[in-house]
Amino acid sequence: MIKAAKLGMIAMLIVVVLAACSSNTSNGGSSNDADETITLTIWNNWSGQDAKAVAMRKILDDFQAENPNIKLEIEALATDGLKTRLRTAAAADEMPDLFVMWPGAMTKEFVQGDLLQPINDFLDQNAEWKNNFIENALVDFTVDENIYSVPMNLAPSSLLYYNEELFKQYNVKVPTTWDELLQAVDTFNANNIIPIALGNKANWVAQSTTFSTIGDRVTGTEWFLKAVEQDGASFTDPEFVEALKLYQELGAAKAYQEGFNSIDENQMIQLYTQEKAAMVINGGWAVASLVNTASEEMLNATNITILPPVNGGKGEAKTTAGVVGTGLGVNKKLSGAKKEAAMKLFYALAGPDGQKATLESSTLVSYKLELDPSKANPLFIKLTELMKETKIVPVYDSKLSSAAVEAINNGLQELLLGGDAEDIAERIQAAQASAVN
Amino acid sequence: MNSTTVKRFIAVALAPSLILYALFVFIPVLWSAFYSLFNWSGIGEASFIGFQNYKELLGDSIFWHTLGNNVVFVLASVLGQVPLALFLAIILYKSNAIQRFLRAAVFMPMVLSTVVIGLIWNYVYHPQIGILNFVLDALHLSSLKMEWLSDPDIAIFSLIPPLVWSYVGLYLIIFISALQNIPGELDDAAKIDGARGFTKLFKITLPMIWGTIQVAMILCIAGSLKSFDLVYIMTRGGPAHATELLATYMYNATFSTYRYGYGSTISTAIVIISLLLIGTSQWLTSRKK
Repeated sequence: MIKAAKLGMIAMLIVVVLAACSSNTSNGGSSNDADETITLTIWNNWSGQDAKAVAMRKILDDFQAENPNIKLEIEALATDGLKTRLRTAAAADEMPDLFVMWPGAMTKEFVQGDLLQPINDFLDQNAEWKNNFIENALVDFTVDENIYSVPMNLAPSSLLYYNEELFKQYNVKVPTTWDELLQAVDTFNANNIIPIALGNKANWVAQSTTFSTIGDRVTGTEWFLKAVEQDGASFTDPEFVEALKLYQELGAAKAYQEGFNSIDENQMIQLYTQEKAAMVINGGWAVASLVNTASEEMLNATNITILPPVNGGKGEAKTTAGVVGTGLGVNKKLSGAKKEAAMKLFYALAGPDGQKATLESSTLVSYKLELDPSKANPLFIKLTELMKETKIVPVYDSKLSSAAVEAINNGLQELLLGGDAEDIAERIQAAQASAVN
Repeated sequence: MNSTTVKRFIAVALAPSLILYALFVFIPVLWSAFYSLFNWSGIGEASFIGFQNYKELLGDSIFWHTLGNNVVFVLASVLGQVPLALFLAIILYKSNAIQRFLRAAVFMPMVLSTVVIGLIWNYVYHPQIGILNFVLDALHLSSLKMEWLSDPDIAIFSLIPPLVWSYVGLYLIIFISALQNIPGELDDAAKIDGARGFTKLFKITLPMIWGTIQVAMILCIAGSLKSFDLVYIMTRGGPAHATELLATYMYNATFSTYRYGYGSTISTAIVIISLLLIGTSQWLTSRKK
């Protein structure tokens, strides 16, 4: 009797273990076109509580409700996790049907790996939609005349958010020149307020939000694009080293709080909303999260501007770093009824209605839409006004190879700790050169 | 039962585990070593480049720096976790209520996921609102305040307390069971012979559990060489590679710079280094009977 019971328990244990081990994720395989239900897998990064993620999830829910014959399998991951997962899926040839994709370098690599299909036909069928995107919106999703996606938002990555109350309290002028910025830093330090909050644990923050703009101010955009192609410019050129040294100067003036390399982006915004810091430099996406998490007074006291121009720099003054936002990649293997269903979902998310929903969630779009002031948060209205007069210049990590991005991200951490600008420039140059050649 | 039947039975009983182990551990290690001979970005073609990755590895200053960091971790674990666990085990191996409570308390961190531990200690070390700096201020020791996780010189050492704290419980349990297995007659014999306190500890207790101590050391070395999640959560290997470990460097090479071949090279190097270290530690601590 006891032996039987023991055997029974062991058998049950094995079954439970095997069941737990079996995976739930489905591969991006094809489904039978004759079936009533079509299953679509979509991977995205709308996993947070910011307004845009909430809006996107609502579109997915509404789509599911209106299309009972299409079953959506949704996987939502934070941005870094999503990028890693997409790459491992690419290596294993198990890509989902639709997935959030970044313009520029990532799109190029995926096209080279034969993972995407162009959507030129679909765009031409919906010409009105296609023509309503802002100038040059589709360029970073285009490889060899084939367009692979449309942007679903616009992401300036470098905006200076500042607390007007603190500026008034300490009689600081909103900086319109580099020297005024350094002065503001000094005044705030003298009064024990952190001038600029920074959370660089994830090491892309300094590069994307601040250095890309400073680099452009000093070197100009043309030089940067040439250096990326390694065609007539190199990262060891004096103008780039000058940009590095200028940024190092900002750090040495104690613009950032202590320990900035050990806190992350969320904690940095916390320092700002707790009024411990007077300024924070972050992308347009921060508005969507500030709107949902900051207090009413904080939002009213916040205003947005761009980094001041640099003396003798070759870049244009009214520009800021950024990139057209993420789009959706369409799996190369889709065809027939499944492809139709996928494009329908694509249109729901990225078409005129989707763009409108994004805009109403306090997120900028690369689409020509009028903002309804009664529906928008005042902080977002300030942002849209600012963007009307500001041109976007490329943010470094959208154009550089991934090896060079690693080199510059780590290099900037070292730079702010007192590293040697020329050494760092050489490393970035070596990484980009070996990737291009 | 003759010895052939016994041996056959053992072989059959071990077979399932061995097969699973071979499939999921041994073969992927060899597979990884195979990939280390290629240059592959994960998407598209892989090109064969022979031992070039290894040449690059030997000349890579970041690799040697991370190896140094790993050695720091290994030393801190072996010289920190094992003696501490041994000390606690000797105090806590009897079974009254207080001792059982303390044992559970020391074991608690093992139950927490490393992500939770990493996040907790991140806030302890937080430069502005962290408990550590707060306590130092309260004790008027503000001059001892440092940038615990930001300063490249001390960041790696700041990571040792969370590491030791989270794993001490495991070795405590191992040592307690070893201590409780010492036959009671030895205790009585020791009392009769007049051996007490430290004499008893060094001449009787420790030699009896020496085998267990050796096993604990292997686990310790292997564990700290594989260490990844704690560092990844707390500092991502930064700032500027200051706290980079072999495993986080491999992860970065593979998933951030998309060099699967080079990442495989690093992981094969980890396997080789582990074998060397464990072999050495076993040889150093073996006792000839």
